[in-house]
Amino acid sequence: MVSSCLAKVVCSDVRHNFLLHYLAAIIALAVTPIIFGLSELNEKMAAQPLEIMSPIFGMLLMTPIFMPEQNESISDVVRSKKTSHILVCFLRLLCSLLLTIALVGILALYMRYNDSKVTARLFAGAIGGALALGSLGFFSSAVGDNAVIGYMVSASYLLMNMILREKLWIFDMFSFSEGKTEINSWLYLSALVLIVLALLFRKYIKSN
Amino acid sequence: MLFFKECKKILRSLSFWIFFVITALMFFTQYFNDGKFRASEYTGGYKIVENHEQIMNEAINTLMGEYTSNNYVCYPYGFYKAVSLKEKKKEKVEIYIQEMMGVDHNGIEDILESHLQEWLNTDHEGIEVYLESTSSDSIMDFFSQCPENRFDDLTVKSDLTYERFTEIMGEIDDILGGGSDFAVDALVFNYSRVDMTDEDSLKQYEAFIKYDRITYALARLFSDYMGIDLAFLPVFVSAVFVAADRRRRMSELVYSRSISSFKLVFTRYAALVVTMFIPIIVFMMIAFIQAKVVYSGEKMSMSAMFTLPTFWLLPNIMVATASGMLLTEVFSAGIAIAFQCVWAFRCLMSGSVALAGDIGKFDLICRHNSTFDRDIFMQCFNDFVFNRIFFMVISLLAVCIAAYVYDLKRGGKFNGFKLFGEGGLLRRKA
Amino acid sequence: MENSIVIKNMNKYYGKKQALFNIDLTIEKGMFGLLGRNGAGKTTLMKTLAALHKKKNGEITVCGIPIEKEKEIRTITGYLPQEFSMYPNMKTDEALDYLGALSGIPKEERKKRVEALLNKVNLTQHRHKKIKELSGGMKRRLGIAQALLHEPKVLIVDEPTAGLDPEERIRFRNLLCEVAEQRIVILSTHIVADIEASCEQLAIMDSGKILWKGSVSQLLEKAKGHIYTVNVEKQFMAQIKKEYIVTGILPQNEYNTVRIVSDAEPDLPNAVLSDPDLEGAYMYCLHSNGCEVKGGDE
Repeated sequence: MVSSCLAKVVCSDVRHNFLLHYLAAIIALAVTPIIFGLSELNEKMAAQPLEIMSPIFGMLLMTPIFMPEQNESISDVVRSKKTSHILVCFLRLLCSLLLTIALVGILALYMRYNDSKVTARLFAGAIGGALALGSLGFFSSAVGDNAVIGYMVSASYLLMNMILREKLWIFDMFSFSEGKTEINSWLYLSALVLIVLALLFRKYIKSN
Repeated sequence: MLFFKECKKILRSLSFWIFFVITALMFFTQYFNDGKFRASEYTGGYKIVENHEQIMNEAINTLMGEYTSNNYVCYPYGFYKAVSLKEKKKEKVEIYIQEMMGVDHNGIEDILESHLQEWLNTDHEGIEVYLESTSSDSIMDFFSQCPENRFDDLTVKSDLTYERFTEIMGEIDDILGGGSDFAVDALVFNYSRVDMTDEDSLKQYEAFIKYDRITYALARLFSDYMGIDLAFLPVFVSAVFVAADRRRRMSELVYSRSISSFKLVFTRYAALVVTMFIPIIVFMMIAFIQAKVVYSGEKMSMSAMFTLPTFWLLPNIMVATASGMLLTEVFSAGIAIAFQCVWAFRCLMSGSVALAGDIGKFDLICRHNSTFDRDIFMQCFNDFVFNRIFFMVISLLAVCIAAYVYDLKRGGKFNGFKLFGEGGLLRRKA
Repeated sequence: MENSIVIKNMNKYYGKKQALFNIDLTIEKGMFGLLGRNGAGKTTLMKTLAALHKKKNGEITVCGIPIEKEKEIRTITGYLPQEFSMYPNMKTDEALDYLGALSGIPKEERKKRVEALLNKVNLTQHRHKKIKELSGGMKRRLGIAQALLHEPKVLIVDEPTAGLDPEERIRFRNLLCEVAEQRIVILSTHIVADIEASCEQLAIMDSGKILWKGSVSQLLEKAKGHIYTVNVEKQFMAQIKKEYIVTGILPQNEYNTVRIVSDAEPDLPNAVLSDPDLEGAYMYCLHSNGCEVKGGDE
């Protein structure tokens, strides 16, 4: 019974609150072939479109999770209900995560179909970048209580990453484009930490 | 005074401080880092000699190579993209090649055949050659599978003028969708570069000391780095600021005050631009002090570190702020941000290969990522001045429109465009 | 205990700033009014009761359940914030359905209740309108519908009549009275007439403290002997306003008939002691607790 209610909530959220963001991410996927060459690339070259686009998908999809409740009275109404608001946000996050992985997957498959060398580790690395930048947007919008803040921080990080590259040390999202061949697990770890911190912040600090 | 009240409001907003932190990061990791050491007298870089014959011949060799394998390397948005052309466009390119080399279709076939022969004569380990015939199509088919394919000794016809040549190259670049090696502004950089001699380096260094008086050169580098951030970051601050009125349900209260819309919108605009320029002034001072320390004892211009970056960077802040105000007022904060980010990103990534003197008349971001190359910068100085003034004017116009829209909203005549929903622009007709 | 809210010695802080001071209050079934000016702490108290804010110390039990058990508290309370709002792109009935799902009501049940409540608050013909297309009054009615959706034992409504036109306001008050027959309804307002028309019990708040609590008649009793009516020539109005708390001005031809609050008999020629109205009593209460009161300055 509880799960059917939650399913209803998440469905409605997707339809009314996040459709535009999902659409934006899909448009980003659709313009990828215009910006990048996607066929017949070796692993290092194939990393470029994947490692740049995946974080953008993550950023577009994970940043606006708290956006519908930016209006304080909406937030009050929703939080006054039995179902924990944090749980609802977490489910929205899961939807965004799944869609992010799906979009990166579609891009990777399309590239493979066009004879690019997209390996499993490259795919996993790209997902790591998507999670890291997405959760950075998620975290900063949670703390700033404004999705714009989330986009500002994550877009700036993406730009800084393009400029600073390896100087970002373990937080570099473009390691495969630079010729490394190991999955940067720090990205996964930092994504996890940021997501947990954001949820804790919303639960304990923001609600006071 | 309203102006100071608005400034205070901006200074208290989180988005402004994030703006501050990100610009500071840009400054310290990039400019400040580069500026720690004295510019060297021996740079060992390259220099550009505009040798038209060399440019034309090198370009035709590259073009033929890419044409035979029908695989053109392009960077339309700053990222690698291999382009292969369909039959019709391929023919167009061939006609241009014929014109430049002064041969007909048979001539091209001859070139291809001898190219194949030459290729077969050299040793290529592990590659099996299988050809159906020696028609130009099957030769090209063969080369499209083969990575090593270079022409070295082709030349253009002797009476081809450089003007006609650049015209053709422009056409070919268009056919390829831009960002190819044949883009007009890339030609010189790609095909007419020679390594610098020690003498050249010394000359360059002299120009740095004597004409640029150090700080002019450093100011260009400073502006180059900071301009990237300032082309998009202000849109966030201004969009948050404009949307805040709506979010805190202040609109009605503010609407009913007696102040004129133009005065209110322009005061806010001025407050945004001025507060966001404060951090930049601080960085200018730090940069100036650094220059004073690093080049102690040298004569330098005392004002250049402040005047040039102001003229260079202020339009960036003005444009991004204005688009944030206008688009947030008309549509929403999201659209304003998306627009500005895509514009700035496009501008940043589709710049030409040379980062020095990459200044067109209508580029939002002017690039000159070099302490030297004064002459390259001076070559496009007029464009640069035009560009900066153009953007200042454009942004002021945008703010005028924003004020007008604000006035309409105040009178209740207009409530912003909606893309979806009742009366939305994209609403399906039931 | 089972049917009342008990607050004992409760304090609440926003950061270092204390917002509520030693609140002691017992609220029984029926309509309870919280009266106070803007910024008196009414909203903070109500949000704390709805488990949206955490208290610093003290004790609150709602129908026997300690406030710390948030989930249980939220099951039995319905909350309507000051300016009710919902995701602007949702339709009216969808919003109710959504909020019902958040309350964990099963689908069939939800459908029935949404239907019934839309009917009750007169929104059935607007059910396919989007939230952003509703008028202020409609939104408020939708707000009360969503607060009642899970049939709570306690209903908390914050300034429900602010910004409504007189007709809407009366309709809304009547709706609340009807609802209050079976449950506790706490209503906050800065409009005295709202309390007068609907509440048996009330508390007056100022600067985060409860100044007074009791029934409406007790409050009137307390103010007896402190409300005067005076006829004042128009040129002396400014002086009167300066010296006394003016709660009502009725302009006549050459003079105004003015109601004033005063501790002792005012030093005015034709001052007549009169029966207190609730507005005057409220002003007297604020005044007698040392709050700076400025009446008639509107």
